[in-house]
Amino acid sequence: MTQQQQQQEGNAFWRWQEYSRVLPGKSWVSGDVITAGVDVGSVGSKAAVLVNGEIYSWGITRTGSNSPDSAVKALNCALKDTGLKQSDLKYIVGTGYGRVNISFAHKALTEIACHAKGANYIWGPQVRTVLDVGGQDIKAIKCDDTGRVVSFLMNDKCAAGTGRGMEVFADLLKVPIEETGEMSLRVTEEPPSVSCTCVAFAKTEAVGLLRRGWSKEKVLAAYTKAMAVRMGNLIKRVGLEPELVITGGQSKNIGVVSRVEAALGVKCLPMPNWREGGLDPMIAGALGAAIFAKALYDKNQNTQQQ
Amino acid sequence: MKNNEIEPKKIMPETTQKEINDLKPTLQAASEQIIAQTIARLKKATPNRPKELEYFDDMANLFGTRIKELEQAKAEGKKIVGYNCIFAPLELILASGAIPVRINSGWYDTAKLGDRVVPVEVCSIIRSTIGAKMIELSSFLELSDVLITVLTCDGMTKLSEVLGGYKEVWRLSNPRVKDSGQALKFWNDEIKQIKINLEKLTGNKITVKNLKPAILKTQRATKAFRRLQDLRKDGVVISGQDAMLVTQTFMWDDIDRWTEKTNILCDELERRVQEKEWICPADTPRVMVTGTPMFWPDNWKLPSLVEEGNPRGILVADELCSSERIIYDPVGVDEWTMNDMLTAISERYLMACTCPCFTSQDGNEDRINWLLTKIKDHKVQGVIYYVTRGCMLYAMEYTTVKRALDKINIPVYYLDTDYTREDAGQLKTRVEAFLEMLTAQIDI
Repeated sequence: MTQQQQQQEGNAFWRWQEYSRVLPGKSWVSGDVITAGVDVGSVGSKAAVLVNGEIYSWGITRTGSNSPDSAVKALNCALKDTGLKQSDLKYIVGTGYGRVNISFAHKALTEIACHAKGANYIWGPQVRTVLDVGGQDIKAIKCDDTGRVVSFLMNDKCAAGTGRGMEVFADLLKVPIEETGEMSLRVTEEPPSVSCTCVAFAKTEAVGLLRRGWSKEKVLAAYTKAMAVRMGNLIKRVGLEPELVITGGQSKNIGVVSRVEAALGVKCLPMPNWREGGLDPMIAGALGAAIFAKALYDKNQNTQQQ
Repeated sequence: MKNNEIEPKKIMPETTQKEINDLKPTLQAASEQIIAQTIARLKKATPNRPKELEYFDDMANLFGTRIKELEQAKAEGKKIVGYNCIFAPLELILASGAIPVRINSGWYDTAKLGDRVVPVEVCSIIRSTIGAKMIELSSFLELSDVLITVLTCDGMTKLSEVLGGYKEVWRLSNPRVKDSGQALKFWNDEIKQIKINLEKLTGNKITVKNLKPAILKTQRATKAFRRLQDLRKDGVVISGQDAMLVTQTFMWDDIDRWTEKTNILCDELERRVQEKEWICPADTPRVMVTGTPMFWPDNWKLPSLVEEGNPRGILVADELCSSERIIYDPVGVDEWTMNDMLTAISERYLMACTCPCFTSQDGNEDRINWLLTKIKDHKVQGVIYYVTRGCMLYAMEYTTVKRALDKINIPVYYLDTDYTREDAGQLKTRVEAFLEMLTAQIDI
C-alpha cells in the first residue's frame, strides 16, 4: 500500500502488511503428516503449516473483532496457494490470546511455550532467551536447548511498550508503522526517553514534544528508547543469557531491536532474512504451536498403536 | 494498645442511606450468585468430590445461616469480636464468652467503592474492606461489637483508623523483631490488655476455669486442621480449592462445630486414601501458593485458574494467613496457671508467625523454613508467589524467597494482580504457561 493510499484510508498508518508465503522448493504428497499452529494475538493472527515437521507455509493477518473468525482467516491465509484444505491437517494447536476460542484446534497451549519452541526452530538450539513483543504484552522467556521454557516473565496488564503502543505512535506521527524503526534511528544524538511508556500518557507527552519543535524522528527515538528500556528490564529480571532473540511484530523494528541490544549490552542472534526465503520471527508462536501439533499427533498415533 | 474510649472520629465520607439502600441489595444479590456459581464450579471441577464438603459449601454462604446464628447469639447478649488478622488471640475471646469472626473482605466490587476514600495504590484487601463497611455489606463486620486490628502493615494500621469511625477498635501492635526479650514482653502486655478489654466488654472475668477449655478448644481445632493438611501430602484426595474453602470457613464458623465437621471430612478423606480414590491423575503438577492472603468469595481467581486451567494443576499446599496458616500452630501450655497460659498464648501468636512484617539479621527466616518444609512434605513441584496491588511486604520479600527456592531447584512464579476480574485473561496465560512448564506432557 502506498502512502497515498494510506492517507486516503484516514488514520491508517498503523496498518501493517498482511501476507502469506509458501516456501519455494517444498511440497507435500498425500500421506504426509501435515500439522498447523494458529496464533491468535491481540493485534496479529498468524498460522504456520508443517509437512512432516518441516515448515512449509505461513500466513500473517490482522486480528479482527472476534477470535474464531481471525483464526479461520489466518489459517486460510497460510493455506493459500498450497492446494491444502483444512481437512488435510492432521492436528492443529491453537495459541495466543484468543487460543481458547479457536474451535477447530485440537488443543490449546500458551504462546509462552510456543514462542520458545518456535524460536528454537528458527534460530537453533543455542537460543536461551526469547523476548516476544506482542501486540498487547511483552514476555521474556528463558528456555533450554530443546526450546522448553525454564522461566518467564510478562509485563503488567497494559499496552505500555508493546506493538499496539507503537501503532498508536505511528498514527500520531503519521508515519507508516513499517518505517518507524528506521526513522527512529535517524537522529544525530539519542534523546532522553519519554518519561512514561503508558500509551495514553506517552501520547500526551509526545504531542507536547512536537509542539516544542522536536522532529518526528526525535520523538520516535525517545519513545522507542523507553520501550527498549522496559523490555531490557524485563529480560534482566528473568535473567539474561546472551543467546537472545526477539520474536513478535516488533522484532522487525530495527529501532527497538538495536536499543534493546544497547540496553543489555549484547547482540541478538542474526535476524533471518524473512523477505527472501528466511523464516519470519513474527510466526514464532504459530510455528511453535505447529511443532507441538506434530509431536502431539505422533504421540496419539503411538498410543493408538500400543 | 490503649482503651479506646474517645468519641470516634469519622475519616470516611458519609455514605447516604439512599446509596446504601441502592447498592447493598444489588451487591449482595451479585455476591450470592457468585458464591453459588463458584460452589457449582468446584463441584464440576472434581466429579468425585468428597461428600462431606457439603457442610462447608453451605457455610461458605456469607449471607446464610451463620449470620442468623450470630444475630441470635447477639440477641441473647453474647458479644461478637471482629478481627482482621490471625494475631487476634482467639483463646481469650472464646474464654470471655465472646464469638470471634474475621472481617477481611474478598469482594471485588467493594474495592471500587473503597477507591473513593483511599487511593488505588492502597492494598486491595484494605480498599475492599473499607468499601464493604461503606455499604454495610459484611454482616460479620456490622455485627461486631468491637474490632481487633493488628498493626502488621501500613494498610492495616490506617485501616484501624478508618474503621475506628464506626466501631470501637482495639489496636494490637506487634513487634517487628521476634526474638528479643523486650519484644516478647511488649507483646505479652499487648495480649494482657486484650484480656482486660474483653473482660470489660463481656462482663465475664477470664479465669483459669474458662481459659483452659478455650485453649483446649483451639488445640482440637488445630489438630483437625493439621489432619486435613497432612492428607494433602501424597495422593490427592481433595482439591486445593476445596481445602481452602474448609480453612476459610473457620474464620466465621463456630469453632467446635467446624472442628467436628473437619474431622468428619478427614475420616472420609482417609477412607479415600485407603481406597486410592484420587481426584486427579498422578502426573498433575503439584503447586503451592504463597503470598498475600486471598479471601472468599471473589478473590478465588488464582486457585480456580490453577485447578480449572488447561493444563490442570493441583494445589497441594499454601502459605497464606487466609488458609493454612490460620491455626496451624498449637498453644503449648506447660502448666495450667493463668500466667503460663497467657505466656503460651502470646508466644504462639508471635513466635510461630511467618508474616513478612517480621525481620531479623537473617531476614524472615521462619517463612523460608516453613516454605522449604512444606515443599518437601507435600512434594511441591512449583510455587506461585501471589501478590495483590499495594501489598508491599509480600512484594518485597519475593527476592529472598526466590533465592531460597532457586537453591533447591523449585520454579517460582511471581503473579501480581488486583481485586478485579479484568486481568483474568492475562493471568490465565501466565498460570497456564507456568503449569505447562511443570508438566512433562508437552515434551518432545
